Amino acid sequence: MTELRLESVRFDYPGGVRALDGVDLVIRPGERVALVGQNGSGKTTLVRHLDGLLRPTAGRVLVGGVDAAGLTVARLARTVGLAFQDPDTQVFASSVWAEVSFGPRNVGLRGAALRAAVDGALEQVGLAGEAATNPFDLGVSRRKLLTIASVLAMGTQVVILDEPTTGQDLRGVLRIESILDGLTAQGRTVIAITHDLRFAAERFDRIVVLRTGRVILDGPPEAVFAASAWPALRSTWLEPPLPALVGERLGLGSTPTDAALVAAVGSTGGAPLSG
Amino acid sequence: MIPLALLAGAVLLPAAASRVLRRLQRAVLVLTLPLAVSVLLVNLLFFPAGQDVLFRLGPLTGTADGLRYGVEVLARLLALSGGVTLFYLTTRPGDLTLDLERRGVSPRVAFVANASIGTVPAILERAEAITQAQRARGLDTEGGLLARARGIVPIVGPAILGAIADVERRTLALEARGFGRPGRRTLLREPADSGAQRVARWAMVLALPLLAVLRATVGLP
Amino acid sequence: MTLVAEDLSYRHAGALRPTLRGINLSLADGEVVGVVGANESGKSTLCLVLSGLAPRVVGGQLAGRLLIDGEDVAALPPHRLAGRVGIVFDDPGTQLSGVAATVYEEVAFGPSNLAVGRAELIERTEWALDLLDIRALAGRDPARLSGGQQQLVAIASILAMRPRHLVLDEPTAQLDPAGTALVGAALQRLAASGVSVLLVEHKTDLVERLASRVLVLDGGRVALEGPAGDVLADPRLPGLGVAPPAQIRLRNRLADAGLESPALLEAIAAAAAASTSASAPQGPASAASAGGPA
Repeated sequence: MTELRLESVRFDYPGGVRALDGVDLVIRPGERVALVGQNGSGKTTLVRHLDGLLRPTAGRVLVGGVDAAGLTVARLARTVGLAFQDPDTQVFASSVWAEVSFGPRNVGLRGAALRAAVDGALEQVGLAGEAATNPFDLGVSRRKLLTIASVLAMGTQVVILDEPTTGQDLRGVLRIESILDGLTAQGRTVIAITHDLRFAAERFDRIVVLRTGRVILDGPPEAVFAASAWPALRSTWLEPPLPALVGERLGLGSTPTDAALVAAVGSTGGAPLSG
Repeated sequence: MIPLALLAGAVLLPAAASRVLRRLQRAVLVLTLPLAVSVLLVNLLFFPAGQDVLFRLGPLTGTADGLRYGVEVLARLLALSGGVTLFYLTTRPGDLTLDLERRGVSPRVAFVANASIGTVPAILERAEAITQAQRARGLDTEGGLLARARGIVPIVGPAILGAIADVERRTLALEARGFGRPGRRTLLREPADSGAQRVARWAMVLALPLLAVLRATVGLP
Repeated sequence: MTLVAEDLSYRHAGALRPTLRGINLSLADGEVVGVVGANESGKSTLCLVLSGLAPRVVGGQLAGRLLIDGEDVAALPPHRLAGRVGIVFDDPGTQLSGVAATVYEEVAFGPSNLAVGRAELIERTEWALDLLDIRALAGRDPARLSGGQQQLVAIASILAMRPRHLVLDEPTAQLDPAGTALVGAALQRLAASGVSVLLVEHKTDLVERLASRVLVLDGGRVALEGPAGDVLADPRLPGLGVAPPAQIRLRNRLADAGLESPALLEAIAAAAAASTSASAPQGPASAASAGGPA
């Protein structure tokens, strides 16, 4: 099982921009974590440290207890799979199947194991019927599901998705949610970068909020969207989900999701409520 | 050696002065590395009049004359590509268009000249993003030559496809802004042109025939 | 003055089936119409057709009629159309001309192509900068702005051409929450300025706030149409691939549990109203400060 650990990680881009400013974070095996914050807050920089694409300016990154500094990206890619946000920066093959097989081939899968990995991943994202299709004949949203399949097929213990729901319609979002549930059922760690706080509140056990390279909030949705945390959220232009606002108005405590609010209202016996 | 002097004096020095030396190095490396390696190797090993032998490696013989000639050709190559890249890295795109249009060049030609400037940093940025994405998928770019060669298609492929998609999007956006309209455009301002810039420009123009004459008469290498 | 589509059908070059079929719609002065629908339901194509880019620039075949302020679009050359119907795309980066060193020059690019006089060029540019409240960005390099700021510049750049109608194709799709709030606030000001707006958006919360009417596309046809409140609350919406706005989802959940009460509905409406104002930073400093470089 792979634990991810960042110890006082600082990262400065060449030219001096500080993207991470002392991040301490431990992500346990099987956890499901949403990373939120504005563009430029350090979310993408952070996850790129987990598979070695970026190396800390100061501090340490440990993957499964081993210092990532001693491991190549190609080696780390066997443990940590990272799906980039934009399909156009990676899709190159002439068929969906060939595209998805690129990653697992790179980590050494061949023959029946390779076929099983690719077919399984295509099944998971709902593209099993498109194996022979040219990726560029898929619409953008399905091309994005393809990039997610490309990472799932690598069978990594940790799966990181960068803005998986961006540009997806309701069906696409539901598909992403079922992919997440499948990964969790397999015991894999899931980290997703997202701007959709409703999605984060409903589908993740833990939410980490970044602002200018620092972790400003870290906890379950009930804690991160509790009224006491709103000033911190709003300091970085994040607005709590609607049910959290309504629950606070009605004095029902922290209700970050529709389901939590319905349960809280139900427990009052549905009596007429006043603020 | 004139090309080396030019490289140092007319490319590297001004690049350092305008703080683009690192980006210049990267761009020039990306653009000329394969050519540079083959130029050096071919001349080192196969220079026909090569006399003083440096080393023998089986059937291959490395000569000092070959090396000298290889370095000179390489310096020319670098001076040329470095000069062009330096121009693109230091010229504000808008200024070039404005100046070309002011001198009567058609807006379309001016735009192409201009947009090509913006393309160099954009291509570098894009190539970087693609490389990162493929490395995250286990592509080994830190391994041996063979491993690196396998990475060419997954990196160059999306770069080309992305560039094509980009052109389509940009074409639509430009049409939407009336760029397809025939005839002249209104110029917002005259580009700045300081005295020092004029002097430098004329100095460069005059240096050209001077160098050509020197080379022909004195026989500079 | 209106934008009217009569029985529009459109097929992309080389496509077997049409992307749009029998679309009828009209967009009156100052009206904001929202368009929602699943991916590949024809929303982006509708934008290209209404702005005159399809079939003129991208090819394909168009049937039916498109009338802009009473004139048939088929008779107008694309550059004349550019000043009548503006279009803004989802990608902030590729909409920049790539040739402007400052936001001011970028915004001036469109009207300068239309060869208006220099005095008018300056007047239009500054009018658009003020309408979007981005005067503070005028001297900045457009390539170094955040995505949200770039979208504001893209909208201003189109408005400077003084179109009466504006088509927006998912203008916040690629933006973070700060950028979305910024563009949302700008669109609200825009709607008040008398320009008519057709807004294609996945984020139904934004559509709910801005649009008076909503169309739902499905397989290239208009599946639902009507006042925004009715369409966004229509029980068929999820089946058409569209997530209802947060308020409506929450009300539906409560109703399903038999817990809907006037006090609750009031609390939801009040919370939603407070939330929109809190997430839309106001004032000239906001556009200049929200988000760093992209």
